[in-house]
Amino acid sequence: MDKKAYFPFTAIVGQEKMKRALILNLIDPALGGVLIKGEKGTAKSTAVRALTEVLPERDEVENCPFSCDPHDRNCQCESCRSREDLTAVKRRMRVVDLPVSATEDRVVGTLDIERALRTGEKHFEPGILADANRNILYIDEINLLDDHVVDVILDSAAMGVNTVEREGVSFSHPARFVLVGTMNPEEGDLRPQLLDRFGLVVDVKGETDIEMRTEVVKRYLEYELDPEAFLERWRHEQEKLRDKISEAQKLLRTVTYSDEILRLAAEISVSLGVDGHRADISMIKTACTNAAYEGRNSVSGEDMKLAAELVLPHRMRRKPFEEQRMDITAVFEMIESREGI
Amino acid sequence: MTPYPFTAIVGQERLKLALILNLVDPAVGGVLISGEKGTAKSTAVRAIAALSGRKTVEVPLNVTEDRLVGTLDLTNAVNSGEKCFEKGLLYEADGNFLYVDEINLLGTHISGILAEVIASQENIVSRDGIEYRHPCRCIPIGTMNPEEGTLRPQLLDKFGLFVNVSGEEDIELRTEVIRRRLEYELDPESFCARFRPQEEKLARQIIDAKKRLERLSISEEILRFCALAANSALCEGNRCEIILAETAKALCAWRNGAEVTADDVSEAAKFVLPHRMRNAPQEETVQQNTETSDKNEPPENTEDNSQTETEPPQDTALQEENSAEQNEKAEAAGDELPLSAEGIKSAAGKNGGSGKRSKTIANENSGRYVRSTVPHGKCTDIAVIPTLCNAALNQRRRTPENGMKLSVRPSDIRKKIREKRTGATILFAVDASGSMGAKRRMRAVKGAVKGLLSEAYRKRDRVGVVAFRGNGAQTLLNITGSPELARKCMDELPTGGKTPLAAGIAAACELLRAERIRTPDALQYLIFISDGKANVPLRSDDPFGDALTAAEQVRLSGVGAMVLDTENSYIRFGYAKQIAERMDAQYISLDEVTGSAVEENVREFINNE
Repeated sequence: MDKKAYFPFTAIVGQEKMKRALILNLIDPALGGVLIKGEKGTAKSTAVRALTEVLPERDEVENCPFSCDPHDRNCQCESCRSREDLTAVKRRMRVVDLPVSATEDRVVGTLDIERALRTGEKHFEPGILADANRNILYIDEINLLDDHVVDVILDSAAMGVNTVEREGVSFSHPARFVLVGTMNPEEGDLRPQLLDRFGLVVDVKGETDIEMRTEVVKRYLEYELDPEAFLERWRHEQEKLRDKISEAQKLLRTVTYSDEILRLAAEISVSLGVDGHRADISMIKTACTNAAYEGRNSVSGEDMKLAAELVLPHRMRRKPFEEQRMDITAVFEMIESREGI
Repeated sequence: MTPYPFTAIVGQERLKLALILNLVDPAVGGVLISGEKGTAKSTAVRAIAALSGRKTVEVPLNVTEDRLVGTLDLTNAVNSGEKCFEKGLLYEADGNFLYVDEINLLGTHISGILAEVIASQENIVSRDGIEYRHPCRCIPIGTMNPEEGTLRPQLLDKFGLFVNVSGEEDIELRTEVIRRRLEYELDPESFCARFRPQEEKLARQIIDAKKRLERLSISEEILRFCALAANSALCEGNRCEIILAETAKALCAWRNGAEVTADDVSEAAKFVLPHRMRNAPQEETVQQNTETSDKNEPPENTEDNSQTETEPPQDTALQEENSAEQNEKAEAAGDELPLSAEGIKSAAGKNGGSGKRSKTIANENSGRYVRSTVPHGKCTDIAVIPTLCNAALNQRRRTPENGMKLSVRPSDIRKKIREKRTGATILFAVDASGSMGAKRRMRAVKGAVKGLLSEAYRKRDRVGVVAFRGNGAQTLLNITGSPELARKCMDELPTGGKTPLAAGIAAACELLRAERIRTPDALQYLIFISDGKANVPLRSDDPFGDALTAAEQVRLSGVGAMVLDTENSYIRFGYAKQIAERMDAQYISLDEVTGSAVEENVREFINNE
């Protein structure tokens, strides 16, 4: 196992929206991932890497390169599906890195050359997307990724399946991952297509509150001085969060929403003129997950507000010479004006 | 995974109809689905395949030629020395759906193969020592988001029908979309079970329609009508009227009509014509027609026919987009014009060749591997499968060592040919400050950007705009190849304020630098449009000095630069010329600041570089 110590997630000061967005995706990996946009030095990467320590445990098929779920026959790889006797092992969800320089072969998987030479047979050697199945796929500087690599990741993210039809290999395997990207918008934008695939987007800025800033420095220095002691001090908080996440996962299936909430989501999307229907669906799912995290089993107006903030801004049509900022207060008013929500 | 049921899709009636028509009669020739994100495009395709019991053979964007068309069966060749054909995706696609998601992003080489096979309905393989041919009568389905650029004309025409989809606007429908999707995700099995009766009913209806189709005939008169419609829509070639007749027939069978009527043809035309119409560039026609926009002129009744009245009511806005010489068929199809206008205008190819400057073949070890070739000199980018296939073909004369099954010699080695979507990156840095000509400059740039992007998909050019005014520079349009995005982003063009010249140049440099990381193969050009009069400094207190320093950076970065001087007052200061010299840029004084003037200068500049 990876023994490298990461700064504890719970010790990150401020950046509440970013942290919440990440946590919600751990609770429900079907939310569609998070894109974190922000200037340098805003704990973007720190937060993503720190997730490692709070990730929930789940069952995996032993020795399956795709970490298949032994209980979900529908989403297993071919080899697991063909077997009756699947041994389940407990393992924590992982953060899988996709370096910007990764070649397409490494990402989608390729022909096992050694085997081809030895036996003349064509076999598939799994790539990063195989590792990423049921895990978090993390792409730092995602806006600098090669177009053609982006295309294949998009494809897999959309379908939950990686289909490889290249260099003599014909293979497909499940690739359902939580896509987490970080980027500095000063270095260029993301293609709209990729942007839309992210369920949630958060803009992060450095904290400006002096108290907070002081706390940031303090904790950082403490950590630098003695990482182990620091981790020990935060262990309790970390465990608490992990428990809260697994509680929320159990609660999520029981969370209900009224018809009024569904209508509201539809109306918000129409009034803002977002493309397609993905925003509506994401909004409801995010709201449900947030309710579960807060320990409630029905969706409230507050859940909808948070969901709207995370789901809508990047799906709005842009205007020049304007910060791409929608009028979130108008949306809040819409939500508040509803009776019984 | 159980696919989402076809009958559970809310709205999107035209898309659903187009897919059904293909099942009723595969001769209709597939569907190209264009539309914004998240509009059930892929869902519908998967659903219809499941409903009809056909396979969906998916062509991923990163497919290589060997897997698409098929190749030598390596294992067999190694073990028995026999040359056998290993089937590719096209073999499987015979009689099934051939599905390409985001088809407009497919590389030149692969889309060329697809276009050929779809048209000939046969796959002829001649590679890796293999000669093989097999039929490939598939129903091609492509999806695309026009924001990402248009589809190559040769492939565009191969799709029988065209549908443009957008999200439902009706609140009730929208609510239903969310509700069903969430229900499905919660428990796919029981959701599908609930819709099974509807699914089965639809499947039966399709089979019934197929039977009716066999008995349907088409009258001479209706065929003439098809030809007329194709003719007045100025479609190229004769495929159009054939597809039109087939589609009308399928529609008639589906609707249980007694015989194919002109109504059927009118309805079919909405699917068949949009992507085939040759039309004047959209922009100009819109402008021409805005004066008459409110009148909603009735379609001309001078030609035949009674069918005009049976036309469904149309949006007035849609009619405006059409040029003068259309008949009612063309109008009916008008809602999908934006795509066809651009696609076909470029297909006509007035503006020179297909872009000598845009390297479609990437020369470094980057880009998407599409096929292989015999290397010249040392090869660092080995195409493994073709190499092994070659080795396998020569095994009989060799003895493998070290327990290997294969002995590979240097002469077997094949090199990868990679393809990359690159072209020129053209960045405009425009002075939007309060001097006299700001508005005109901005409009000119907007026009030029649109012009350049209208054939961007072919030349793979990407365009961006940085505007500077007030206290800084803003990226008005991030470097993009999408006319759609450009249209959205350049809707409003605010001007006024001071002139931070240095900031403008610096911002442009920074944007190009980031772009170089992303597309190292693309040639970069900076087009600087200003009168050169700076009054906001960047670092020091000398605005013009700072601008010259920034200009120096442009020279050092090796970007091809051009300065378009818009100074046109009686007394000329020649600041812009000084900046041009510092940038080592080509200098042109613009007498007339218009979109076409800017576009022309840019084209000429780039073609000569």
